[in-house]
Parts: sequence; C-alpha cells; structure tokens
Amino acid sequence: MVHESLAATQAVVTLDVGLPGIVWGWIITMNMWAKSIGTGVIFMLFYLLKKYPNEAGYLRFPLTVISIVAIHVFLFFTVIDLHQMFRFWHIFVYGHFTSAIAVGSFLATGFVGLIFLLAYASYIKKDNALFDKVLTWTVLLGIPVTLYTAALMAQSTARELWQMPTEAVQMILAATLSGSATVLLVGAKLPYEAKRDMAVVLGFSAFMAFLIYMSEYVFGPMKAEEVAATLEFIKGHGEYTTMFWIGQVFAFIIPMVLVTLSVQNKSTGLLTLASVSALAGLWVTKHVWLVIPQLLSMS
Amino acid sequence: MHLGFLVDLHLCMGCKGCEIACKVENEVPLSTWRLRVKYVDVGVFPETKRTFTPLRCNHCANAPCERICPVSALHYIENGIVNIDKERCIGCAGCVMACPYGAIYIDPETQTADKCTYCAHRIASSLMPACVVACPVEANIFGDLDDPASNISRYIMENQGDVQVRKPEKGTDPHHYYVGGGNIQLNPLASVRTEGHNLFGKLTSKMPVGGHH
Repeated sequence: MVHESLAATQAVVTLDVGLPGIVWGWIITMNMWAKSIGTGVIFMLFYLLKKYPNEAGYLRFPLTVISIVAIHVFLFFTVIDLHQMFRFWHIFVYGHFTSAIAVGSFLATGFVGLIFLLAYASYIKKDNALFDKVLTWTVLLGIPVTLYTAALMAQSTARELWQMPTEAVQMILAATLSGSATVLLVGAKLPYEAKRDMAVVLGFSAFMAFLIYMSEYVFGPMKAEEVAATLEFIKGHGEYTTMFWIGQVFAFIIPMVLVTLSVQNKSTGLLTLASVSALAGLWVTKHVWLVIPQLLSMS
Repeated sequence: MHLGFLVDLHLCMGCKGCEIACKVENEVPLSTWRLRVKYVDVGVFPETKRTFTPLRCNHCANAPCERICPVSALHYIENGIVNIDKERCIGCAGCVMACPYGAIYIDPETQTADKCTYCAHRIASSLMPACVVACPVEANIFGDLDDPASNISRYIMENQGDVQVRKPEKGTDPHHYYVGGGNIQLNPLASVRTEGHNLFGKLTSKMPVGGHH
C-alpha cells in the first residue's frame, strides 16, 4: 500500500521482510462477537424486566444461560488465541494495569461470577428478588466488560483506524444489536409490545452503527494518512471491499429495513430474519474492521 | 541514564553486517529479524539510487508495547531500554498490534514476543551492542542520551536539523534517531511495496507471526 509516492522519486522497496500477515484474525473476531451477545442479552433482560416484569419474567433463566454460553465462547477464543495459552494465569499473578487486556481479564472474571450467581438465583434458589438485585450489578459490570476491547484497540497505537471513542460506541452498539437480536430469536412468548421494543433497539443500533461506519469511511481519510491507506482495502477493488459491504448490508441495512417494515405493519414475522441477518452481519463487519489495519506495512 | 541509538544513513552502505551480528548474538531464529536493513530504490534507470535504512526497536520513552503488555513481560530497565521477559510473555500479540514500527514479532520457536533489546545482556557487561561492533563504517552510534559528552549526544548536536525519528506523530518519543533520512526511508507509506521483494520470502515452515512476516 502506497499513499505518498511521488513520480519524482519512484521509490520502491526492493528488499525488506515480507508484507505483514494477520496477527489477530478470526479467533479475535469470534471473541468480540460472542462477548457482544454475552453482555447484550444481559442489558436487554434488564430492560425487559423493568418494563415488562411479568411477561418477561420467564426469560430470566434462558437469557442467563445464553449469556454464560456466549461469555465462555468469548473466553475460550480469548485463551486459544494466546501463543502461550497455558500461561494465561500470568495475567492474574503479574497483572499490569495500564493494559486493557489485564483490566479486561479481571472485569470479565467478575462478570462470569455474577452471571453464575444469576443462574443460581433463577434455577436453584428460584429467587426473583435476588436475581433482579444481582442483575443490576451485572449490568453495571457488563458495561466496562463490553468496552474494554475498545480500549485495547485504542491502545494499539500502530492501528490508526481504531480510535476512541468511536470503538467504544461501536462496542456498545454491537452489544445492543446482538442482544436485542438474540432476545427476538428466543423470546417467542414475549408480548407484541416487548418484541416491538426489542425491534426498535435492533433497528436503532443498526442505524447508529451504520452511520458511524459510513462517517469513518468517508471522513476518516481526511484526517490521517494511515486511515486513508487502511480504508483503501475496503474501497474500489480493495481486497476486503466485498466482505465489508456484505457485512454492512447484513448487519445494518437489512435489519433496519425489516424492523421498519415490521413496526409499520405491527407484524413480528420479519424480525426473526432481521435478527439472524444482524448476528451474521455483525461477525463479518467486526472481522473486516479487525483485519484491514493489520495489512499495512509498518516499515 | 537513557541509552539511545543513532544511525547515520549517509554512512550506511547496506552490507547487512549488523543484521547478521544481531542474529548470531541473540540466536534469532530463521525468518525473524530483530534488526534488518530495508532497501528502497529511488528514480528511474539510469538515474537511480539505492537507499539503506536499518530498522530496529526504537526503545520509546512512551512505549505502546510496554503499556499494552498485560503481564509486564515488556518492561523498562533503569537505563531506558525496553526489555522483554520471554518467560513471562503469554503471546497475546498486543505488543505486535501496538508497535507502530513493526519491530515486534512472535518468535516461532518460543511462541513469545521478541524484539531488539539493544543487546541489554552485553550492555550489562559493559559491551557495545553486537550491531555497533559489526558495522564497518560506524554508522551505528550508541550511547547515553543524558550525557552531553557521549558520542550520540555530540552527534545529535553536530547534526541538528538533520536528526529525525520515525513516526513522531505517534507520540512515542523514540530513543532511536536517524541522520540523513528522507521521507522515502522513514515513512512506509512513501514507497511502493510489492510482495516478493522480501527476505527469504519462500520460507514456508516455522513462519513467525507479526513483525511484518
């Protein structure tokens, strides 16, 4: 990738190490995607229990289980991405707290403890009051758990594309998008009003995320040459152009259209399709955004 | 004491002696490089020129790799060197993602991060880094940046106006300087780079991760 080449110099690198490969690949994409679902369903459950305490009460245990599974998928992919995975415990012994990875590891551990407590309250103790009390703390801890990956990306000084606060907003939107989509897929017994609320959250999250991606796509190159060079991979005949637009269409555009049609027609039939599209598209979108800054040569 | 490096690109002739000395001294595995010399060709035949730029860890005073490392495997030692503890490293590759100079890679043998340490083990024994010793034209100048009488400080003073660091906009405060460098040598976006023009590009086994491999 060349961005500042002059006809006067015709500068060509004739000997150096090879072009960079992908260091953080699909395993990290799985990590981010699963974490979005794991925290997103907790956020949505909190909202539903506040607004529809009776009708949504049956979702306490199923959504807790989904959160546990998704968070463990996230943890699994986090650990297997380490080149020395059996040294994972070093984080807890030698933790270096300027690092978002170290802080995130402790936060995620606390979050896992709380969702297991939720499972205990809902399945073994069957105590809704305890569940709702613990849920509040789980939501509060879920916010930084959702955000720490954004902090990690922002700490990646070499990757100009990943900026704060943009990544933080995108992480929260990914959680609300995937959380609402998951609830729509598993909450068949919810009343129409609750489904409509989830659909609105899904549509709004998709709209905001799409707006931010497009803003970066159009205006990012006007501020930084590395961003401009990075975005060349998703423009024109770029290596990831097709994948980028597949992600945008499935994650954001299709859900926005289907949610609009669904709310207008007071029909929930299209929401299943919107939810599946959003979840699949989110994975692709996250993957492209993760990979393209890594294709730039740093030397 | 803050140790630093300066490379006078007017003097470097691209012999790669420093590369080899580094590999031998630090037992750097095949296909990985703590230090390498980048060649950039400029101009159109017959009016052409080849430039040589040794690239290594910049030992930044505000090192993103040190900040992002979750276990302090990358850490400062008292002389300003950013050192690495390979026994502690978990191989998360956060440092690879953070380093704006592509100076860190995952060692294919140990599966941990690795990079230039300014030969910290030699300095502890009052020896110069291997690359400095090997350079036949003394293009590598190494010393204490806090000492105004050191070779590197005097060189910087004598060449004021022609001393640069790579990517100053990143705010990393590198302790690695270049004299006589131009945009095409120090800015990766200023020269065309096509796959194939790389060292040992056909290696297929024990390929490392990151660090531009």
